[in-house]
Amino acid sequence: MQADSARTVRSPRVQRVTPVSADSPINAVDHSRRTFWLRLLLAGPVVLACATLVMAGGAIWLPKGAAQIDNLLLPILLFPAIWASLFFYACLAPKLGRAYGVTAIVALLQLAMIGVHFFSR
Amino acid sequence: MIRLPQRETKSLLAIHGWSAVFLGLLLYVVIVTGVASVFADEIGDWASPLPTATTQRFPAGLDQPLQQFAASVDPELRESFFAFPRAGGRILAQFHRDEKDAKGRPTERGVTVDIDPHTLQIENRRAGDAEQMDAGDRSNRLADFFVNLHVHLHVPNPWGLLLTGVLGLAMMVAAVSGFLMHRHLLRELFTLRRRRGDLLSKRDAHAVAGSWNLLFSFLLAFTGSFFSFATSFGVPVMAMVAFNGDQAKAFETFIGNPPVNDPRPAPMASIEAMLADATHRAGADTFFISVEHWGRADARATISMLPPEGELAGTTYVYDGPSGAFQYEKPALGRVPSLGGSLFSLMAPLHFGNFAGVLSKAVWFALGFAAAYVALSGLRLWTQRRAAERAWRPLAYAVTGFGYGLPLSLLVASVVFFVARSADIDVNTAMMRSFLATLTLSVFGSALVDNARAARTMLALTGALLLALPVLRLACGGPTWAEMFATAQLVVPAIDTALTLSGLICLTFAWRAARVPRADAPVQLKEVRG
Repeated sequence: MQADSARTVRSPRVQRVTPVSADSPINAVDHSRRTFWLRLLLAGPVVLACATLVMAGGAIWLPKGAAQIDNLLLPILLFPAIWASLFFYACLAPKLGRAYGVTAIVALLQLAMIGVHFFSR
Repeated sequence: MIRLPQRETKSLLAIHGWSAVFLGLLLYVVIVTGVASVFADEIGDWASPLPTATTQRFPAGLDQPLQQFAASVDPELRESFFAFPRAGGRILAQFHRDEKDAKGRPTERGVTVDIDPHTLQIENRRAGDAEQMDAGDRSNRLADFFVNLHVHLHVPNPWGLLLTGVLGLAMMVAAVSGFLMHRHLLRELFTLRRRRGDLLSKRDAHAVAGSWNLLFSFLLAFTGSFFSFATSFGVPVMAMVAFNGDQAKAFETFIGNPPVNDPRPAPMASIEAMLADATHRAGADTFFISVEHWGRADARATISMLPPEGELAGTTYVYDGPSGAFQYEKPALGRVPSLGGSLFSLMAPLHFGNFAGVLSKAVWFALGFAAAYVALSGLRLWTQRRAAERAWRPLAYAVTGFGYGLPLSLLVASVVFFVARSADIDVNTAMMRSFLATLTLSVFGSALVDNARAARTMLALTGALLLALPVLRLACGGPTWAEMFATAQLVVPAIDTALTLSGLICLTFAWRAARVPRADAPVQLKEVRG
């Protein structure tokens, strides 16, 4: 079984014809590399975009407070914390798919609120 | 003690290391210049003292030079005015108007002067855009050089602020990941296994300094990234959502001083009387004065106060310009106190460490110094563990070059500041060129000669320059200690002494490093062969 896998890996021609088993080393390397880049994409630009949307959305859903500025000021003050929370979640979540899902839901919720705010003007 | 599964710990270790590898050197620059900037006011007073000490932040008789200055300025530029004390107690006063440049970017045009607090003479008048007004400022240039490097790395804004904001986030990531991945944090606070040149002892020193510094690093990173992102990114985003992209309207809302419009001419009332009233109301000294529409019927003066004894934030008073009548008291942001405004008021004292005078500044300086050590020792650990791999050698040279070369470059720029100011040449350009040239030489020097020898040489040069600076200050026309003691300006002897002691410490370390056999020295090789 191991010899078969090794031959499959060594010969590109055979590799094209024969499907590689799910637990073969090459599949594991490809999979972990793909996971790494997907996680980097999530923890980098996706999280930054999501944190920006949470900050922008805060202007709509946060209470304005006595001075009528809390909804504008608090999201700016908390932006580093929002970003850091999303970043560590993206880096440490055991299931990458779920991390993408949660981040997407948070971002889409904010986007929807911003959209409704603009269209209701 | 935090118990994380092995996979998470490995991920955190990777995040901790790689964030430092990509941004650690720039972060080190921001931390080191931040440490110097803690004493920016004192550096300004040391570099450009006046012959007599100032007893009040805003001197008596200030109305006359302010009215004279206002009369000499194009009425179009009297849109905004501000004044506050700077190096040596000189009052920096500026009239300016907000404009847009050819590319539509916000800029300002105006006139700035210094007012001598003793003679009340207007000095050093400079006009033009913000950059031209800054370039003409000679008494504050040294401190401003450190502060600008810390705030935006001398990269044009908003890019410079965005860059330092990202560095702040990286520091926060390093602090949080460092906290989470050390399973035995309490034990690591006191674990220092000392074996000379051993990687383990270096790792312990990094972990001990990092563990003691965790909370402070997090605090600095959080407040620092807030300051960087707030104006460069936060306000524009909020303006887009809440004010259709009108940033001026967003700022007006934040400040809580809605503008009025009455362009009829009207003489300005006495600023001194407003200052006296504000000081009486607050029981504290004045921090900053600003006036909108000087010389118009809608002129309004805003006076920001220093925090009263035992408090973290000061208040703000608003006065009617033509009558000088008190209008209302407000917090720094917003018209009335609010949660956001209160949190905002905490940001500056927590970041600058100026809430308890020189004592808190000294603590912030020491903790900042430790943070710089943590950043540098972490990078050195990373490169030393990979010393056998060729690919990591450029980073090892850069770490040595930046680690020892940055303080050296800042000192060379300081030396150039005194020389260029005496020779009456462009101080800004001379400082920047000498700084960049020294830093480049340090990095390439570390690659060309033996790494340890390069470090030792740079440390010795740093020590020599630290010893030379007080002498150079005197040689370039600075006052003597006797003159400073006679006028109770202790900041000059204090900084001279600190520089001399630091210079001696650097030279001692350089001398010791030259005497100690290194881990890869022939002695050890002989032992192994024997």
